Amino acid sequence: MKKSNRKVLIAILVIVIGVGFLIYRGLSSTSVYYMTVAELKTSSLGQQLGPDQAVRVGGLVINGSVDYNQRDLVLRFALKDEGNPQQTITAIYKGARPDAFEPDIEALLEGTYDRDQNLFQAKTLLVKCPSKYESEPKPEKENTQ
Amino acid sequence: MITFGILAQFAALVFTLLAMGLLLCGLGRNNVRLVQAGKRGLLSATAATTLASIALGYLFLTDNFQVEYVASYSDRALPLFYKLTAFWAGQKGSLLFWAWVLSLFITLVIFNNRKEQDDRNTPYIYLVLAATLGFFLFLLCAVSNPFDTLGFMPQDGNGLNPMLQNPGMVFHPPLLFFGYIGFTIPFAYAIAAMITGNTDADWIRKTRVWNVLSWIFLSIGIILGGQWAYVELGWGGYWAWDPVENASFIPWLVSTAFIHTAIIQERRGIMKVWNMVLILLTFTLCIFGTYLVRSGVLQSVHDFGATGLGGYFLFFVAVVLIGGIYLLAESYGEFKTPGSVESYLSRESTFLFNNVILLALAFATLLGTVFPIISEAVTGNKLTVGQPFFNQVNTPLFLILVLLTGICPLIGWRKATASNLRRNFLRPAATALLAAIIMVAFGIREPYALLAFTLAAFVGGTIVQEYVTAIRSRKKLTGESSASAGLKLLWRMRRRYGGHIVHFGLAMMVVGIAASSAYKLESQGTLNRGETLAIGEFTLKYEDFRIYQKYNRTVYAAKLGIFREGKRIDELEAERRNYINAKQPTTEVAIRSTLIEDLYVTMPGIGRNNEITLKVAVNPLLIWIWFGSGLMVLGGVLAIIPSRRKKHA
Repeated sequence: MKKSNRKVLIAILVIVIGVGFLIYRGLSSTSVYYMTVAELKTSSLGQQLGPDQAVRVGGLVINGSVDYNQRDLVLRFALKDEGNPQQTITAIYKGARPDAFEPDIEALLEGTYDRDQNLFQAKTLLVKCPSKYESEPKPEKENTQ
Repeated sequence: MITFGILAQFAALVFTLLAMGLLLCGLGRNNVRLVQAGKRGLLSATAATTLASIALGYLFLTDNFQVEYVASYSDRALPLFYKLTAFWAGQKGSLLFWAWVLSLFITLVIFNNRKEQDDRNTPYIYLVLAATLGFFLFLLCAVSNPFDTLGFMPQDGNGLNPMLQNPGMVFHPPLLFFGYIGFTIPFAYAIAAMITGNTDADWIRKTRVWNVLSWIFLSIGIILGGQWAYVELGWGGYWAWDPVENASFIPWLVSTAFIHTAIIQERRGIMKVWNMVLILLTFTLCIFGTYLVRSGVLQSVHDFGATGLGGYFLFFVAVVLIGGIYLLAESYGEFKTPGSVESYLSRESTFLFNNVILLALAFATLLGTVFPIISEAVTGNKLTVGQPFFNQVNTPLFLILVLLTGICPLIGWRKATASNLRRNFLRPAATALLAAIIMVAFGIREPYALLAFTLAAFVGGTIVQEYVTAIRSRKKLTGESSASAGLKLLWRMRRRYGGHIVHFGLAMMVVGIAASSAYKLESQGTLNRGETLAIGEFTLKYEDFRIYQKYNRTVYAAKLGIFREGKRIDELEAERRNYINAKQPTTEVAIRSTLIEDLYVTMPGIGRNNEITLKVAVNPLLIWIWFGSGLMVLGGVLAIIPSRRKKHA
């Protein structure tokens, strides 16, 4: 192998190792567990979570549980497990209610879980936007006026 | 019309299979006429997909809600424009659109080569194209048929999701598709070259326009998606590293790498195997991206639902990858190149490093995207990563990429000498240093932002230096004015300057991204009429409220006066809309865009007595992102305008 080729290879190797380290550090410092509501409440991994440990949880927004304070932009609601609807948590999200947020929709929250109060403090809230609307074509106005 | 559509679709599949059969026979018997017949089969398939597409468009226009797909994505009140574009609003129509565009592209290839003599590669090229088209037509006919009917005629359709009723969203999917589909053509040429062992840069030269064009489409598609998120979704950003976004970004990164090393193969005849790997990866990632989006394996804001198509796409990806790797291994001996990168201080080597970084970005983004799947497979627990991961890993890599963009044109091919390096680097480096000093003087302390601005200035400096030097020497040679010399250079050497313009646009984007993410201001408040909310140097005053009907929606609008230093400089109208058929009111974003900053206003709440809640943000230099991306596209277009002479440097 020519000398210059070796130098290029070494440089690439250094970059690759650097990138590997960057990715490793990124994964270990930012990755969080994803759980369903039931797993969060009952699984051993869920039990081990500290009150300050970030976790992502997914479930269905319970119909009738939504309480949106549009003055201060605080959204409170309850989430149930999709397969096991007896398992529920309450959640609080400080921010604007996303347009697609509605009862029975699947929501993904990231934040911390307080086991004693069964309260999830969501830092981010993602809702799956349904690509279509299935139910009756009747406009509602609950959020205005 | 429904039966007509189904028949046309089926006919397209039959024609495609027929074409494949003819091409295979033509190959076996070495018969040129069979190959020609195969091409005609593909042309017939194009006619059939066109008819099927017209049929679907007609069903949308005539509100034929008997068709399940039409009923799902349209309603009577939908404006005409959106009725037509609802064609690709959902999965089934997208598939038909995909097949239609692919067949049109194939027709273009046939048309472009009508004067060229067929060579050994030709049958293989069309065979690969036909197989890909056949895959999509099979899905349309057998698995996901847009002409499926409900069995009854509903009163009205479900309507198009209001969030999709936005011009940006209308053109975002088809442009992405153009990009994805366009890469099928270089892919087909590459496979053919591997099979026949035609090892020169012929396939790269012939598909250069397709490569760059697909890259341009992919770029516009991604940018429009970001722009749509910014002006429509109202969370204030344009990119969230959501799996669906990543699915389009990963092939973009790899194709960018490919475009760069393709130049090296053209000029120096090296990196042949590497280029094969890159085009294979690009194409695979395009299909894999579609799989990710359609299969429901990942949790994304954009939910296309688990549609049962995932398995088919995964199968297709597996066939392409395994087949590609097999062919590559078979032909590896013939592709091994005599030449090599001669010095680590050469333009080739900066291209090589640029490739490593681009692929690292693609890998990191892919890993982050599929990490929940991998971690669950390995540990049994789902671990996810979000924006922090991508920002933490990709930001430094991007900055290195920008640095390389600046360095690359300063270093000559083959081997650079110390003296020309010193001469070339002096001014751009001084520009960058000056930019850094000015930034620090203006109080910019955020390390990444400072670095980004400095590197962008460096890139800008190198490009301007190149251009000015070239203009000067041309003036000396021809005695033209600066303006005329400058324009003539741009036009005569459009391939080179197209590239420079792309890089200049990139530098502008970097500035916009760094400024708007590091120095964003946010505020929120609840106002009664006459009250004000202050943010940065702006004050917003709630002046008026009105409710009115427009097309298929009721609009609730608050008029806001914008004040700076006590003077009313402008006004914005923040809106919430109630669409017929939508359960929820939607938030409309009001933006006041200037070169300096965007004032970004949403109105998440309207209370008693028209009391409004506002969310306001100031995004500095955000418009630079759109300008920069526009330049990137323009530069790309300039680079592929064909020259009358067949060849140029």
